[in-house]
Amino acid sequence: MTLWWIGDILLLLVVAPIVAILLGRVLGEARAIVPSVNRIRDAARRGSADLDAVPLLLTTQEQVKQTVEGVANYGGSLDVIVDDA
Amino acid sequence: MPAAGVVLIIAVVIVVLALVYYLVATIVALRQITNGLDEAIDAVGEIVAKSAPVEPVVADINQNLDAAVDALEALLVKKAGLEDSIGLIDGLYPGAGTAGLRNFDGSGDIRPPRIAEVYTKGTLTLARLGREAPIAAASPNGPALRNVTGGSLNARLLYPEIRQTRPERMPRSPVIGTNAPEQYEPSPEPGIRRRMPAGANSNERTTSADARPV
Repeated sequence: MTLWWIGDILLLLVVAPIVAILLGRVLGEARAIVPSVNRIRDAARRGSADLDAVPLLLTTQEQVKQTVEGVANYGGSLDVIVDDA
Repeated sequence: MPAAGVVLIIAVVIVVLALVYYLVATIVALRQITNGLDEAIDAVGEIVAKSAPVEPVVADINQNLDAAVDALEALLVKKAGLEDSIGLIDGLYPGAGTAGLRNFDGSGDIRPPRIAEVYTKGTLTLARLGREAPIAAASPNGPALRNVTGGSLNARLLYPEIRQTRPERMPRSPVIGTNAPEQYEPSPEPGIRRRMPAGANSNERTTSADARPV
């Protein structure tokens, strides 16, 4: 009977608090992850939105091509009309 | 049942309730984490999908720009020579001459010639057109002209003196046309003066006629 009482006391005063503390720590860490995950999600969404302008690169590519062609024509003309050094 | 058994049962119930509360709360938190990560993964997937064509497009743009830079550098060096090219670049963009040309090794070590310091774009254009402009003839050791876009007055100071201050003290060129100031007495008939100057022959019709025998 004495051992039974000792077991009860250990269960109430040692095991139960330790279990509560450990589980509380786990819960606290899990809850602390949630805001970080939300920030990652928001950042990824903003990054995805920023990349909406990527198709404009195709326009830039085409314009660069046309500009380089113009520069080539202009340079070719200069090569003809200006004497070499 | 002995009292110790009742206490044991109560203790076990307390522990189980604590386990249930904390574990359920942890499960809820983990579920929130899972949902957030799912949304983040979706957004990252969009980023990956959207950025996939960037590399070849940018590579193509860079290739075209590289070709243009190569051609322009080659043209500049062909027309102006390597040293003058560096001078031109340094003149247009002060300090850029030290970077040199990309396709010409050692071009960054060339000391930009003086044309980079004293020529304005207009003056340089005249020089390139073969006008033999006396650039820097008046002050070859003078201060460098750094304002290449708006420094026309400073550029004028590089010329000999007569080219800058004296013309401003000289009378202006005569004005011709309908608004010209009246310089002579109007005549009723072309070629005939209303009043001849003193000592002149009255038979003369013009001042340029000389009636003396030759």
